[in-house]
Amino acid sequence: MKRFAMASLALMLLLGVAGCGSQQSANTPQTENSTSKSTQTDSGKKVLTIASGNDIVSFDIHNHNNTSTEAVHVNMFDYLVKKDKNQQLQPDLATSWKQLDDTTWEFKLREGVKFHNGDPFTAADVKYTLERVAKDQTLLEYGNYKQIKEVQVIDDHTVHIITDGPQPVLLNRLSRLGSGMLPSKYIQEKGFDEYLKNPVGTGPYKLKEWKRDDRLILVKNDDYFGDKPKWDEVVFRSIPEDATRVSELLTGGVDLAVNIPPTDLDRIKNNEGTAVAQGPTQRVMQLTVRMTPGTKTADPKVREAIDLAIDKQAIVDNILAGGGTVTRTRVTPGNFGADPSLYGTSLYDPEKAKQLLAEAGYANGLEITLSSPSGRYLKDKETAELIQAMLGEVGIKVNLDLQEWSKFNEQYRGKKMNELFMIAYGNSMFDASLAFDRASSAIAKGETDYNNPELDKLLEEAETNLNEQEREKQYQQAQQMVANDRPFIYLFQMGANYGYNSNRIQFEPRLDEMLPVDEITLKQ
Amino acid sequence: MKKFLIRSLLQIIPVLFLISLIVFVLVHVTGDPVTLMLSDTATDEDRAILIKALGLDQPLYVQYFKFLGHLVQGDFGNSFRYQEPALPIVLERLPASFELAISSMVVATLIAIPLGILSATKRNSFLDVFVTGGAVLGKAMPSFWLGIMLILLFAVHWGVFPVSGQGTFAHLVLPAITLGTGVAAEMTRLIRSSMLEILQQDYIRTARSKGLLERIVIYKHAFQNSLVPVITIMALQTSHLIGGTLITETVFSWPGMGNLLIQAVNQRDMAIVQAAVFVVSILVILSNLLADLAYRVLDPRIKYN
Repeated sequence: MKRFAMASLALMLLLGVAGCGSQQSANTPQTENSTSKSTQTDSGKKVLTIASGNDIVSFDIHNHNNTSTEAVHVNMFDYLVKKDKNQQLQPDLATSWKQLDDTTWEFKLREGVKFHNGDPFTAADVKYTLERVAKDQTLLEYGNYKQIKEVQVIDDHTVHIITDGPQPVLLNRLSRLGSGMLPSKYIQEKGFDEYLKNPVGTGPYKLKEWKRDDRLILVKNDDYFGDKPKWDEVVFRSIPEDATRVSELLTGGVDLAVNIPPTDLDRIKNNEGTAVAQGPTQRVMQLTVRMTPGTKTADPKVREAIDLAIDKQAIVDNILAGGGTVTRTRVTPGNFGADPSLYGTSLYDPEKAKQLLAEAGYANGLEITLSSPSGRYLKDKETAELIQAMLGEVGIKVNLDLQEWSKFNEQYRGKKMNELFMIAYGNSMFDASLAFDRASSAIAKGETDYNNPELDKLLEEAETNLNEQEREKQYQQAQQMVANDRPFIYLFQMGANYGYNSNRIQFEPRLDEMLPVDEITLKQ
Repeated sequence: MKKFLIRSLLQIIPVLFLISLIVFVLVHVTGDPVTLMLSDTATDEDRAILIKALGLDQPLYVQYFKFLGHLVQGDFGNSFRYQEPALPIVLERLPASFELAISSMVVATLIAIPLGILSATKRNSFLDVFVTGGAVLGKAMPSFWLGIMLILLFAVHWGVFPVSGQGTFAHLVLPAITLGTGVAAEMTRLIRSSMLEILQQDYIRTARSKGLLERIVIYKHAFQNSLVPVITIMALQTSHLIGGTLITETVFSWPGMGNLLIQAVNQRDMAIVQAAVFVVSILVILSNLLADLAYRVLDPRIKYN
């Protein structure tokens, strides 16, 4: 017995030492480790190492809809038109463009541009790239490009893009995922499979090595047409486990780590030599409300009460550690048509919520169901639980229905949700039109059953309106209507958390979450 | 021997058939890959087109028979994610997983053999209780926790080993210890009990009474005879190791098959899941067969039928 006690004591001591060690390691500034091992190698090469949560999907730029994949691709491929840091459109492979009529756009292409294999970039490449995605229904990006009817080659450096109708968002379409220019001659000669193995683009960096789920290494393209690339080599590492990614950052194994969980932000801030960068994203979290006649939430007072009962700022502060911005619209700044009066603000008045419920005839409370995915978005379960508690405070008993994403999606696609469901939507078009994709009565049928003929008319007009100023006003008006009618109760714009080696690099997150590495600079 | 081998190999076929059915059904009932592949703003029309393109609009049994038809030709279909044949992608990852699994086995053996023998020869001593207690703990520690703790201590705090990735020998140390600990715990306990049983045998008493050195009694007479169950457990631990690679490879972002399988499950990449589970099944069956053969060699008293 005595021996057993002694042995247990020894084991506990051993564990205790290990425990203290790890605790200390989490809090002590790591001065000697935090100098980057990755930024500069012995040979003096400038190397940048970035850690993401997942590897790129493929080099088929038309067959993925993965932001983190595109974040890597932007360094290898160029669009016709690109967005700068402030999301303003700038010439890239096209030097100028103009609209010839409602459905025809002319693009003048940059001359003297070469693909990584030496092939010159010409109008034939534009035709091949855009028609491939606009015509092949099996490609994941088909839905975003099917509006392009044809690309006509006028001469080697001029193309006409013909759309199926007026397309006010064409330039936005051409400056995003799916628009990177592919080398048509190379693909036609060697086949697409060979291209997938040895992809070439026109971008500032070219592929050196891809070891799937481990690392992707790019090297600078000395023949790049724009400013000289800043890095000799860029390594994108795939580190799925959050704790490991953070540890790599703390030890200097990587210069920049994306998707930092809110719980690790303080650890990175308190560590000498590392810093946190938080930026907005294009995703907005919202509650979708069923307005079908006969449901409890068909009453506008009940919807308003739900809106007023939820303290959105508290969710952002307490659950997301400040990584988000409250909003009353899905069209956030940086998107065409944004209404600044609805952004950065939210309604919260639990007393008025109670009063509204009493007026609606629910003085003794009411019971509704809130469905939410669990594990799909950052802290989604916790957010839904907090909403349940907040609504409970004003007398709304919420049955929380947490589901795994694919099950949730099945119910969502089947339009079988109850009174409320929580979901986040992105907007890769940077245009208000996409934010209303579920608001028109035709699409809303069966989901929210929102039916506002005035809004329908406004959206229809705005969709094809080529007068920018007028179109902007139309969308702002539409946002006000939705904010008043509340088929959707917007919660917050989601933020992105990055950790970076502040001794070595300067980094500012972009709204579109792309990682053009030449915007990351080495500190002198 | 020959008959035994042929019979064992023939038995694999129905097992694989059963596995194919289970994996196919499970992968198809747990969720739909189209949802995960398309963006949240995709329309129902986009969905319908993709479902048709992937052949997912056909009845499940038709899909299964098609799958079986391709399977016998070694074709698991194309990965949805990578748009490449699934089997080569899985096989490409095997060397990394083998490297990790073998190193873990080496770590486990290096820990388990001396500790198991010491623990048995010094039964009920402080050391014995310490080792058996440690073995229980080693078995009970979840590998993801142990992995993260090792990273915190040895990589972040002391900076002796790299945090993650593959490349040098140093990259291998922490994952191998993480994966090897559970196996070592199991092996230590087994070596100890096997040794204890043997140490009480008459021939050991005889050996001792002949005046042989204790060292010779322990290693030559007792340990070698305790190896039969140890070999068995080592082979059985292969499946444990393969299971463990799922977690360990993810924690250390080790580019092996476990890491691939986890990503594929998350993305509902059916072809990869099916191919990987198949490869794992074959590995487990083969390692069990090897164990069977090994202890027949070690102990000729065991008959083949």
